[in-house]
Amino acid sequence: MKLNERSVAHYATCDSPPDKTGFLFKKGERNTAYHRRWFILKGNMFFYFEERESREPIGVIVLEGCTVELCESAEEFAFAIKFDCAKARVYKLAAESQTAMESWVKALSRASFDYMRLVVKELERQLAEVQDAAGAGGQQGRPKPSRRNQVARSRSGASSSSSSASCLSSSASAPSMTAVYSAQKSLQDEVQLISGSFKENGVTWSKPPAASANRSVDTAPSCVTWDVCTDSGVAAGCGGDGGRAPPVPPRRLGASLESPVSPDTCCFSKLHDWYGREVEELRAQWLQSQ
Amino acid sequence: MRFNEKELICLSRQPSEMAAELGMRGPKKGDVVKKRLVKLVVNFLFYFRTDEEEPIGALLLEQCRVEREDTQIFSIAFLDEAERKYLFECDSEEQCKDWIDSIIKASYEFMRRNLIFYRTEIHRLTGKDPLEQYGISDETRFQGNSGSQLVARDTSSL
Repeated sequence: MKLNERSVAHYATCDSPPDKTGFLFKKGERNTAYHRRWFILKGNMFFYFEERESREPIGVIVLEGCTVELCESAEEFAFAIKFDCAKARVYKLAAESQTAMESWVKALSRASFDYMRLVVKELERQLAEVQDAAGAGGQQGRPKPSRRNQVARSRSGASSSSSSASCLSSSASAPSMTAVYSAQKSLQDEVQLISGSFKENGVTWSKPPAASANRSVDTAPSCVTWDVCTDSGVAAGCGGDGGRAPPVPPRRLGASLESPVSPDTCCFSKLHDWYGREVEELRAQWLQSQ
Repeated sequence: MRFNEKELICLSRQPSEMAAELGMRGPKKGDVVKKRLVKLVVNFLFYFRTDEEEPIGALLLEQCRVEREDTQIFSIAFLDEAERKYLFECDSEEQCKDWIDSIIKASYEFMRRNLIFYRTEIHRLTGKDPLEQYGISDETRFQGNSGSQLVARDTSSL
């Protein structure tokens, strides 16, 4: 399969700061020896170089559909990246210390596009909540959005078993937005993102109170300029508009069910509990193996 | 450059919200328009021969520019070789707009900027960092810029 390799390699070394860099030992594919490589993690791309000074990566691991776990190994501080698909390979890596290993495992576990998307959606929801609460009598003026591809519903103490099903529900019978936003809930409450129709990329968001007295609801496509460069910053066409929230990327249908990370990745706080537990388990496992 | 091809092919099989048959032309002189099933999954654009299971290729949608070339045609060019454009012919102006919109938003870096915006705004309005409750405030990938400058992130592994 072809890949725009040159441009992918360029992403590794271009201006944008990487998420994590460092030396790791990587187990070879044919040759089972561990080789020390320089790694650069950027977004969901995990690049490895022969040397720290090398200009071109030897290779890249695309971190989608994978889990990161401790692995049984003679090598100390070892961990593995395991993919979900059939006959997928396992990348075995080893760090140079316990701290480094934990740090890498955490960073790699959170590297997927889906994870980032989840966090963005969660913050988008929180911002809307905050803006709504801060707005003066804003609820009356807020029209029921007709083009909305997500509805936030809070449920305290709800079980997680129903979350997957309801997360993918495309039913249009969303609870009234005013009811949602006027509910007194702390940010600690469990939140479920319920996806509506995936047809539109449009997302409704409102201007922050500072920018306008009236609540205005807009959809994303009005914000797109034809030749905006992805590199040039947030939704260029909206930039000068008094801090409008940028639109969110389209969501993958069924993404939450497919994610190998957790069956409940549609629920943000659950996902975080899971990550926290995972790190604890890793720590416990390591201590046991000592 | 090596990459985990099998896993990428597996990724291409995931359902996507954006998939259509478009006329696609490669960036090289002499490349002609060919009918391809084009599919957007996370920050990759996969392209298949119609009815084939395995994609012919994939484009990572980072550091790229998406432009409208004509009423129904858009292009993708990568910043490291901006003259080389991949062209995509759509069936309608609406479809063309939708694709441009989707591809722009399909970049990890785009999402990161969104996140930083939301985080900053929430902090400004509430005085609280919304990521703190999840214990991820210090994650380098969520670190923001003050103003328009990107602050260098801590890149040491130790």
